[in-house]
Amino acid sequence: MIFSILEHILTHISFSVVSIVLTIYFLTLLVNLDEIIGFFDSSDKGIIITFFGITGLLLTRWIYSGHFPLSNLYESLIFLSWAFSIIHMVSYFNKKQQNKLNTITAPSVIFIQGFATSGLLNKMPQSAILVPALQSQWLMMHVSMMILGYGALLCGSLLSIALLVITFRKVGPTFWKKNIKKNFLLNELFSFDVLYYINERNSILLQQNINFSFSRNYYRYQLIQQLDFWSFRIISLGFIFLTVGILSGAVWANETWGSYWNWDPKETWAFITWTIFAIYLHIKTNRNVRGINSAIVALIGFILIWICYFGVNLLGIGLHSYGSFTSN
Amino acid sequence: MIVTLNPKILHFSKIHPFSRPSSYLCRTRNVSLITNCKLQKPQDGNQRSSSNRNLTKTISLSDSAPPVTEETGDGIVKGGGNGGGGGGDGRGGLGFLKILPRKVLSVLSNLPLAITEMFTIAALMALGTVIEQGETPDFYFQKYPEDNPVLGFFTWRWISTLGLDHMYSAPIFLGMLVLLAASLMACTYTTQIPLVKVARRWSFMKSDEAIKKQEFADTLPRASIQDLGMILMGDGFEVFMKGPSLYAFKGLAGRFAPIGVHIAMLLIMVGGTLSATGSFRGSVTVPQGLNFVMGDVLAPIGFFSIPTDAFNTEVHVNRFTMDYYDSGEVSQFHSDLSLRDLNGKEVLRKTISVNDPLRYGGVTVYQTDWSFSALQVTKDGEGPFNLAMAPIKINGDKKLYGTFLPVGDTNAPNVKGISMLARDLQSIVVYDLDGKFAGIRRPSSKLPIEINGMKIVIEDAIGSTGLELKTDPGVPVVYAGFGALMLTTCISYLSHSQIWALQNGTALVVGGKTNRAKNQFPDDMNRLLDQVPELIKKNTSVVSEQS
Repeated sequence: MIFSILEHILTHISFSVVSIVLTIYFLTLLVNLDEIIGFFDSSDKGIIITFFGITGLLLTRWIYSGHFPLSNLYESLIFLSWAFSIIHMVSYFNKKQQNKLNTITAPSVIFIQGFATSGLLNKMPQSAILVPALQSQWLMMHVSMMILGYGALLCGSLLSIALLVITFRKVGPTFWKKNIKKNFLLNELFSFDVLYYINERNSILLQQNINFSFSRNYYRYQLIQQLDFWSFRIISLGFIFLTVGILSGAVWANETWGSYWNWDPKETWAFITWTIFAIYLHIKTNRNVRGINSAIVALIGFILIWICYFGVNLLGIGLHSYGSFTSN
Repeated sequence: MIVTLNPKILHFSKIHPFSRPSSYLCRTRNVSLITNCKLQKPQDGNQRSSSNRNLTKTISLSDSAPPVTEETGDGIVKGGGNGGGGGGDGRGGLGFLKILPRKVLSVLSNLPLAITEMFTIAALMALGTVIEQGETPDFYFQKYPEDNPVLGFFTWRWISTLGLDHMYSAPIFLGMLVLLAASLMACTYTTQIPLVKVARRWSFMKSDEAIKKQEFADTLPRASIQDLGMILMGDGFEVFMKGPSLYAFKGLAGRFAPIGVHIAMLLIMVGGTLSATGSFRGSVTVPQGLNFVMGDVLAPIGFFSIPTDAFNTEVHVNRFTMDYYDSGEVSQFHSDLSLRDLNGKEVLRKTISVNDPLRYGGVTVYQTDWSFSALQVTKDGEGPFNLAMAPIKINGDKKLYGTFLPVGDTNAPNVKGISMLARDLQSIVVYDLDGKFAGIRRPSSKLPIEINGMKIVIEDAIGSTGLELKTDPGVPVVYAGFGALMLTTCISYLSHSQIWALQNGTALVVGGKTNRAKNQFPDDMNRLLDQVPELIKKNTSVVSEQS
């Protein structure tokens, strides 16, 4: 009983903190005032609080259920938002490179957390018992690696999508300013802070009376290049996790089901995702192909991850059925 | 500006024949050109052309490389495994490969082709999860009828012609895999190994201009090259110095690892082929206390499945038990197995469970399933009778078994009796002669139950274990590939950084480049250069100004 109360409290703490963080982001975007800079900084601290909230939540579940808390979709979602908050923390503490990564991770955390705690999955939060096949040390390695991989790959591909949005957007100084609020709704949440970033840059430049269109182009180019580099680095990292996750899963399957590869739908989709990101990395080797092409591949990869993570579970087919919506 | 752009344009025209004629590719390329033309630093363009010049030189040395390598040039996947071994292989295989038409090699090592192959494989796999696999032809006739095709064209004819009902063993899929393997080998041979040679050949730069053309370049007005060398060494660089020139590199493994990734992929493919052609498989359900011979269960899968001596081994199921959670659900299955050789001598005894198989002489025995074999019952002290349990299917997959103990004249047309139902080995539900619920008994309790004046005792519930047997000669190879793939993928994350420096009077010209962590590299370089002590000279007469 104490455990479930503790779990409730931690869930609500992490969810409300992350909502506050998102509100701060909104404010900074819309008001765009210097006084709010202090506010803005506190959002990073908010994510740290969320991180500890989710860590506590996972630990509570671990102690309570007696097994590693990754046995159903709810737990894996919580773990995913935990992975996002880790990525956020890493980029926060790595002060040397102030980057736009946290503008991707913070909304991701709130989306995942919100989805996990929302009524959609009201039957899932109960910690389920482990079926015989899941009782293995491999569970910890395989699932945690897969989710970390998903988290990093989602982050990287979101950066790529931001790149695409910026590249394909019509730019004009007046048009830009007027449309910020509208664009905010039109564009996905992930890009808003990037837009804010450009806007800020532009306004500084305006004051300096430099040739506007030139400098805008220049900073746009800089931003695109930054996004390109960062998404490449993070996708490479996620690719490592995904590789290790798939391979440890194959070894586990050989111990349990008697074959290291069964062409189970989940396995197959994980492999498809892996292939797509391998394509991404290969396109990146060719310097003459600009970032946009690889970003399009990353966009495909982004969709594939969600198919692999949710789509296969929605259908509830194959051997991985214990991760499905309808389990038990 | 125009001059710096020229090499780029040249490049685009160069890759054009190989690039897929997809519209978006062309479009995006245009867009990127526009956005970049102003911002492309002169050094960037020149550096590219200079590095390519380097490449072409070495390629002409190794004389088997096609022109394609130029554009796939100094990229990520182009690194080398362990350079020495790779280089040796290249030289050894050169004579043989010279016979092969060089065109085939150059086409196969073409990156766009490899990417197309990967896309096709991914699409086929996706299709394989959408189309139901391994059903009867009738199923496909009904699901994909000819008069009402899916998406307007897709009918069962497609499925039967292309073998999409068994996608993962269909010729089209396997063919693509073979093609991809060929591409992997060709790329490793023609692109990666020459690149290793380039990477291993460390060279000094003799002029300021060459160094300033690097991705990162800086000039320290008063600094000594020795100090820089020490600082770079302290940061983990390998430093080489000759006179006023310096060359340093770090993370060379990151350039070699991608070759290892390719070799690991090939290993996994080889292992998979071995598995597909040389395996035996079989499953068996054995009641507790009985035995079977391994060879009777195992059936060959491929052409090269050769039985071994271990196939004569007899497996005896000593005991089959199940563990339960408090809620009554099954938590684990255990089978106590004894292996006996031809002389009946026990060679191995092990209790297996799910996730804990038994391995003997290349054969692996997995615990995969269970079933209810029989119920041992005594009636009024008579018996015990062994009642066979039959599986009963009632909506859903949950297992349910039942049996029937006839009472009275068994030859009568309307036999009455006691029915017993069980979901697992834990508890048996007993119904009386009229089909009314009589009670629940646990086999372990030995508690008698009174039904219509008869005293029934359930002595024991005998389960049977579902075992899966397998031999797979591919597993060691595949595991080796897995290990190598994990390791080399991790190493590939390392960034190969190179730094050149030249002492020019009191000024020190420093340039460098890296292949992965491009966003961090300038920061790291600046941090390192900040540590270089400034030389204080009395007569600061000729000091070149920093640009």
